[in-house]
Amino acid sequence: MTSNNPAVFLLMVNGQIEAADFPEYDDLYCKYCFVYGHDWAPTSGLEEGISQITSKGGGSQSLVWNFPLDITFKSTNPFGWPQIVVSVYGPDTFGNDVVRGYGAVHIPFTPGKHTKTIPMFVPESTSRLQRFTSWLMGRHPEYTDPKVVAQGEGREVTRVRSQGFVTLQFNIVTKDMKKLGYETTSEHSAATGLPRTSQQL
Amino acid sequence: MAELHIIGQIIGATGFPQNSLFCKWGVHTGGAWRLLSGLKEGQTQVDMPQTGDMAYWSHPIDLHYTTKGLQGWPKLHLQVWHQDSFGRCQLYGYGYIHIPSSPGQHRLQCVTWRPLGSWQDQLSEMFVGGGPQLRSPDLIYSGADRYRLHTVGMGTVELELCIFLRHFDRYGVES
Repeated sequence: MTSNNPAVFLLMVNGQIEAADFPEYDDLYCKYCFVYGHDWAPTSGLEEGISQITSKGGGSQSLVWNFPLDITFKSTNPFGWPQIVVSVYGPDTFGNDVVRGYGAVHIPFTPGKHTKTIPMFVPESTSRLQRFTSWLMGRHPEYTDPKVVAQGEGREVTRVRSQGFVTLQFNIVTKDMKKLGYETTSEHSAATGLPRTSQQL
Repeated sequence: MAELHIIGQIIGATGFPQNSLFCKWGVHTGGAWRLLSGLKEGQTQVDMPQTGDMAYWSHPIDLHYTTKGLQGWPKLHLQVWHQDSFGRCQLYGYGYIHIPSSPGQHRLQCVTWRPLGSWQDQLSEMFVGGGPQLRSPDLIYSGADRYRLHTVGMGTVELELCIFLRHFDRYGVES
C-alpha cells in the first residue's frame, strides 16, 4: 500500500518574454497565449496577455519587453505538452496595426533554466498585386486564430516569410512526473541502488 | 507495456542552394510499436527567410507510442523540397535520423542527400530543374538496396526533440 499515489503531475512555468530582434521594424508589442492538449488544464496563472509597446531607442537594436509569464498546468499525459504562441504586431507606414510575426515553441520539458530564441514568420501574399494592395490598405495577410501556429496540420498549403526572432526565458519545475513513471532525464537508476523488478515483455 | 513520448519541433533547414523550402516528414516504426496519439507524418509550411540563410518551419511534433519490444525503434525520415516563385516543387534532399533512445532534450542535425543522375541529367537539371527522385521513400531509412545509387550531399535540417520514457525500467531496459 502506498501512501502517495498521484494521478496527475504538475508543470510550473516561470519566465518572461525578454526581447525581440526585428531588423526592419520598430514600435512593436506582442501577445502570447498557451495551446495545450485535451489532457492538460491550467491550474493557476494567466493564459493570455498583451505586452507594452517597445521601441529601439537610440543606438541599440534591441526591442525589450521583459514581459512576465507565470502559469501552472496539471495533466495526466505528456501528449499535448503546452506550447506558447507569441504574435508580434507593429504599425506600418500609414499607422495601421499589422502583424509582424507569429512563432510558437513547446514549454521546456526538463526542470531548470532555459533560454529559447524562436523565429517569427508572417503569412505571405500570393501575388505581387495582393502584396501591393495590402501595403496600400494596411490589411496584410494574417491568421484568424494565432493558435494554428502551434498545430502541425494544414500547414502544407501556407507560404510564410520569417523575419525576426523573439527570446524567451523559462524556469521550469515539475512535480510527480517520476512518481507516475516518466523518465525525463537520462540518469541511470542503477546508481541509486534501488531493486529493479524485471518482467517478460 | 512501455510508452514513449516524442515531443518537439522541426526547427528549420540550412545549407541548401535556395531558401524557399518545405519539408515532408514521417516517422517509421517496427511492428511491435503502436501509435496512441499524434500525427506520424506531415508537411511543413513553405518558408522564405527575409534575412539570413536558414529557413524556419517551427513545425510541432507530438507523438505517443506504446511498445512490446525494442526492435524497430522509431526513425524520422524527411524530404526537403524547394518551391520557386512559379509554384514548382523540386526535390532538394532526403534524410533520416533515429529518434534518440535516451530520455531528455536533444538538439539534432539531420544531414540530407540527393540522387545524382548522369551528366546529361545534371545538364538538363541546370536549365530546366527537376532531377531524379527515389521511386519509393522506403529507401530513405533502409540500407538494403542502396548499392549502385550515386548521390550528392545537401544541407542539414535542425530538430529539437524531447524524449519521455515510461515504464521502460519495469522491463529491465536501461537507457
